[in-house]
Amino acid sequence: MNANWILPSIICVLALPALGQQSLDSAYRTTGTAVLAAFEPQRKVLQTSSAVLLDGRKEIGYGVVISSEGLILAKWSEVDLVVGLSVTVDQTTYPDVKVLAKDPRWDVALLKIDASGLVPVVFASTSDLAQGTWVVANGATTRTTRRALAGIISAKSREIPASGGAALGVTLKPNSKILEVIEVHEKSGASDVGLKHGDVILSIDGKAVKKIEELGELLKDRKAGSTIQMIIRREGKEILLDVRLSARGELFTDQMNRNDQMSGEYSPRRSGFPRVIQHDILGSRHVQGGPLLDLDGRCVGMNIARANRAESFAIPVEELKLLAETLKKQTPN
Amino acid sequence: MTVLLLCGSMRLNAREVVNDLTAPESRKDLETIQKSVERVLPQARAATVCIEIDEGSGTGVIVSKDGLVLTAAHVATGVKKKATVILEDGTRLKAETLGLVADKDAAMVQILDRGTYPFVEIDRAESTLLGDWVFSLGHAGGFDKERGSVVRLGRLVRIAGATFQSDCMLIGGDSGGPLFDLSGKLVGIHSRVGQQAQVNMHVPLAEFVANWDGLINGEFIGEGPYAEKPEKGNGYLGLATDSRSGGGLIVTKVGLKSPAELAGIKNGDVLLKLNGVNLEKREQMQEILKNLSAGDEVTFEIERAGKLKTITFNLSER
Repeated sequence: MNANWILPSIICVLALPALGQQSLDSAYRTTGTAVLAAFEPQRKVLQTSSAVLLDGRKEIGYGVVISSEGLILAKWSEVDLVVGLSVTVDQTTYPDVKVLAKDPRWDVALLKIDASGLVPVVFASTSDLAQGTWVVANGATTRTTRRALAGIISAKSREIPASGGAALGVTLKPNSKILEVIEVHEKSGASDVGLKHGDVILSIDGKAVKKIEELGELLKDRKAGSTIQMIIRREGKEILLDVRLSARGELFTDQMNRNDQMSGEYSPRRSGFPRVIQHDILGSRHVQGGPLLDLDGRCVGMNIARANRAESFAIPVEELKLLAETLKKQTPN
Repeated sequence: MTVLLLCGSMRLNAREVVNDLTAPESRKDLETIQKSVERVLPQARAATVCIEIDEGSGTGVIVSKDGLVLTAAHVATGVKKKATVILEDGTRLKAETLGLVADKDAAMVQILDRGTYPFVEIDRAESTLLGDWVFSLGHAGGFDKERGSVVRLGRLVRIAGATFQSDCMLIGGDSGGPLFDLSGKLVGIHSRVGQQAQVNMHVPLAEFVANWDGLINGEFIGEGPYAEKPEKGNGYLGLATDSRSGGGLIVTKVGLKSPAELAGIKNGDVLLKLNGVNLEKREQMQEILKNLSAGDEVTFEIERAGKLKTITFNLSER
């Protein structure tokens, strides 16, 4: 069923005050200063072990400090292509930021700043937290002071399939009897392996393909981030390539639906994650990438997407630890 | 053992002290909130259902063991309408809308499949106060078995007339879903949102309690804006017919993209019965349609190429 999600259009609530109306002062609301004061121990962890990513003066994301010498995990799609990237940890700003490695599947980059004596996060032993468990993440920040936002674990941990399915990231010649590539999307796995205009796709995972429909059928049940074996013909020669499939949503901006329209600044890359934990902390796309903490101040995950107004995703600590190790190994010495 | 049980049951009804603090002051206060939510969540989740009506998907909550469901009027859209209720485990059940309050966004739905259903207690005492900690459940964005319904925590931040406002963030698909207090009692039903994410509105349970009998009896109470009163005779079929000697009406024209066309009725089909009434003259069909409204269901028995067929579909608006 292609259902519409029911919620009446946004209604202006700045109506005249009604008789007998009672209103809670903003300080005592869930995002208010008085309530967040109860999360001071966790905020202190964010102060030293989260990184603020800046494009000039603009805050574009956060990061997780994972070593005392300045290794930081960040949300790749928010820092990609940023020219004047700098990083603030605690009260020190580091203008020199190197991108050491990246993982397109998780949308995570490993950054390095020239620092020493930083306080890395302490990883929790599990991300398997009951729904209703408090979690804390970065809110907005001042130059010197991190702020916390709090929420709860709000749904089951699970895979978030790529929206729109997996895509190769190529445009094929229309109305042709062969699969001739006429354009390659620059952010796709096809581009990574050097596929180019004029190449002809002959087979996928050993199956011959000639029609666009056949190609679509073969890719239909594949997952974004997985790899296919493709034989192409280029200048008369057959070449074997291992191509990573992209999430359609990574390559093309999704069409906004009604839920998106009421979601403010959600993360453009918000699907295609092997597993996430979900919480209800109200952060914009520009506060993603930082650690998700439990009440003990331990890192239970890394905030990776604000999916919409009511749902935020984090990479679970189990996968995050493995990912950090993998990215470190990819790093050229 | 008896003492322990008594303590347990007393605690369920007791008001959590943390509600009377202007803000949580310690880790212990935070843990009190967390433990309350964890304790009552399994039952609250089990009673929270997805409701599909026509092309819409909203949320509702079961409040009796025989399957009475509370939801929003704009989810029900009308009275005595066919609905599908989806339980947490994905079980799909037949249901029907009962009454609604159009100006307060309150409605009831009855599950028609017999069974014993998980349900929640409702707050009849109107015990909720400004600043109380509350949590919302809902099938945000529609039913998703892998994810389940989504829980969000917040406080009751505004009480104004027939509206509760909380800072539990809602989105499309949550409509009609439940708002609970820390003892697991149902205190509100999700209705609408403001431009800011912190602005989320719920219908207080008092509005349901005040209209309970009318809702149970399937009455359409009040005027707009959350549901439109059906207007008799405004249903659209999209057929032209001629009477046929020997009974029945022969279809001479089917409107483009009309409900009849979408349901598969074709030129030349012979309409034998409409809603159980034998069709002899065109006037008979018009008489039946005069008493139906847009959205109502019609069932035709037809003859096509010598074979009998039954086709059921809904009228659209003229």
